[in-house]
Amino acid sequence: MKKLLYSLYKEYKVLVRDKAAMGIMFIMPMALVFVVTIIQDTTFKSVNETSVPLLLVDKDHDSLSVQLERALKQTKFFDVQKQDINQEEARELIATGKYLIGIFIPEKSTTRLREKASQRISKLFPAEDTLPSVVDTASLQLKLYFDPITKQSFKVSISGAIGRIVSALEMQSMVDVLKVEMKDLMPSSEEVTLETKPLVSTSEEYATNNESTLVPNSVQHNVPAWTMFAMFFICIPLSGNIIREREDGSAFRLLTMPGSYVFVLAGKITLYLIVSLIQFALMLSVGLYILPLMGLPTLQTGENYFTLFSIALSAGLAATAFGLLVGTIASSQDQAALFGAVFVVLLAALGGVWIPTFVMPEIMKSISSISPLNWGLEAFYGVFLRGVSFSAIWIHLFKLLVFAAACFGGAYYYQVYKRMR
Amino acid sequence: MQGAPLVEIQNVLKSYKNAPRPAVNDLSLVIPKQSIFGLLGPNGAGKTTLISMLCGLFSPTNGKIITNGWDTAVDSKKIKQIIGVVPQEIALYPKLTAYENLLFLGHMYGIETDELKQRIKYNLEVLGLFEHKDQLIKTFSGGMKRRINLIAGLLHHPQLLILDEPTVGVDIQSKTAIINYLKKLNSEKGMTIFYTSHHLDEAEDFCSHIAIIDEGKLITEGSTKELIQNNGCNTIEEVYLKITGRKFRD
Ligand SMILES: Nc1ncnc2c1ncn2[C@@H]1O[C@H](COP(=O)(O)OP(=O)(O)OP(=O)(O)O)[C@@H](O)[C@H]1O
Ligand SMILES: [Mg+2]
Repeated sequence: MKKLLYSLYKEYKVLVRDKAAMGIMFIMPMALVFVVTIIQDTTFKSVNETSVPLLLVDKDHDSLSVQLERALKQTKFFDVQKQDINQEEARELIATGKYLIGIFIPEKSTTRLREKASQRISKLFPAEDTLPSVVDTASLQLKLYFDPITKQSFKVSISGAIGRIVSALEMQSMVDVLKVEMKDLMPSSEEVTLETKPLVSTSEEYATNNESTLVPNSVQHNVPAWTMFAMFFICIPLSGNIIREREDGSAFRLLTMPGSYVFVLAGKITLYLIVSLIQFALMLSVGLYILPLMGLPTLQTGENYFTLFSIALSAGLAATAFGLLVGTIASSQDQAALFGAVFVVLLAALGGVWIPTFVMPEIMKSISSISPLNWGLEAFYGVFLRGVSFSAIWIHLFKLLVFAAACFGGAYYYQVYKRMR
Repeated sequence: MQGAPLVEIQNVLKSYKNAPRPAVNDLSLVIPKQSIFGLLGPNGAGKTTLISMLCGLFSPTNGKIITNGWDTAVDSKKIKQIIGVVPQEIALYPKLTAYENLLFLGHMYGIETDELKQRIKYNLEVLGLFEHKDQLIKTFSGGMKRRINLIAGLLHHPQLLILDEPTVGVDIQSKTAIINYLKKLNSEKGMTIFYTSHHLDEAEDFCSHIAIIDEGKLITEGSTKELIQNNGCNTIEEVYLKITGRKFRD
């Protein structure tokens, strides 16, 4: 135990006197999270926007337009703005991007809808005494305008949503007409009420395999993402430290001392684990105190501090073990630095650090789940976005710990069976 | 008990993977207790490889090394307790001071802090480095580093001190300081010293026993006096030239 403490103390001194390593481990990630969060803020906002600006032009002023408006507002998906303008002006407003969607309801739409409904219904009840009524069969058309930047898929889903609302209204007016007809035919019968609610209901859910049903904001994404990146970047100073010891004969000397090398390695692992926890604390405080100063949302950490701590610890262990493995296998410091940097950047890109997984194409999403950085990130998302507790994210931590164990095992195997032969 | 064997190297062969020839080839040697044993040979002769096996870092491919009655392949832990090693490289942390380096290594040997501090002070004084103890190693000259490197290997008072080229790249003052201190440790504390070098003249003056190896094979071996007398020469260099008929490559 004493040996471990002295070894830890030595590693601590070696590290704090290495300005480059200190910069890489503490300054770089804080600068990255600061800059990238600010840059990405608007991008995240547009992905996150829950209400689409919608222009409603109502020339009808009757039940169709009133009900359509109410239905649109109920979806909470649209930010409904009403204006009394003509079709051309409406088109203009959409074209200039002021609104994403425009709906134009022509005059007398309600009346036309009623007439069409009653026409259809009366066909069902051919009464000889009535003359075929003259109905204005001119088509009833609601006009939908879309901003040209909107994607096809978005258009389809919006038209579908509006179509559903309209057909519910059609249904309702047919039922109304039907009621009147029924009364004429069977005056004795009681008042009928027909439900117009759809018989088949659908519920929607995002079917993604990475659980991100909630889309994070820029802060919620970047703080955990760069924390993971910073932790795994430990592999560069750590592997450098191990290789330096091997090259300058220190490892040789320590290996000739009874039991010492184990303590030296344990000291290194402990120190870099502490480093990764400090990195986590620093990054959290950037999210909590510094980013809000820049007008960005404050990081919501949730209440599950134990879970957060266990994520940081597991991720730190995985990162440290990875550094140890790189340091053991690489034959020179240059090789370790180059390999380590390339590998971590690759794992970060795959794992959704630069570009979050929820905007990745499906294939990349499944590939990204092989990156240990992604496991940590998903676990952090769980706590930051959904406030889940340990039981919901343990699988990610388990994967991180298995990865750590595999790295330790690989390093041990390489050291004993390759280096010492 | 001077003269009784402390280390017996028996038909040791070591082949590295992918190496064209064995680094140490069927080598047998006896290191007597309290001797100063010089292992001489050119670059690549296999000196460092033999030392690694002496320390129990890896086992010989063939043959055995018995140290203090223990087989290195079996009891390397016990052997590590009684040996001290001074590596060929300056195995120190450049960003730590001389004192911090020695304190760390001493603690790794498990020496009690108070005792350790005394030993560090004593050794630094003997080798003339006490006033530099709080300087970073990276500011030291080559000779100063070599002296600290030496102290680091003997803080725990080993029975057998193994030195891999301890005088390489140092000026005459540092070299004399190192050699004299090693002689003193040998005569006063009875420490057995096993040392490698390229320098025949230095070894001739310093060592009670000498072995010369090349390409992993033993060329000749014996007490320094015997070697010179039996070959009818005046110096070890003459002995070497007589036996091999050629010069060292370095
Ligand atoms: N890890 C290794 N893998 C493969 N070959 C090695 C390894 N270490 C040393 N060798 C080879 O073994 C031979 C002996 O090397 P060794 O380092 O023991 O020589 P040395 O006598 O200490 O040389 P020097 O005086 O240069 O230190 C050399 O040919 C060397 O190339
Ligand atoms: Mg050597």
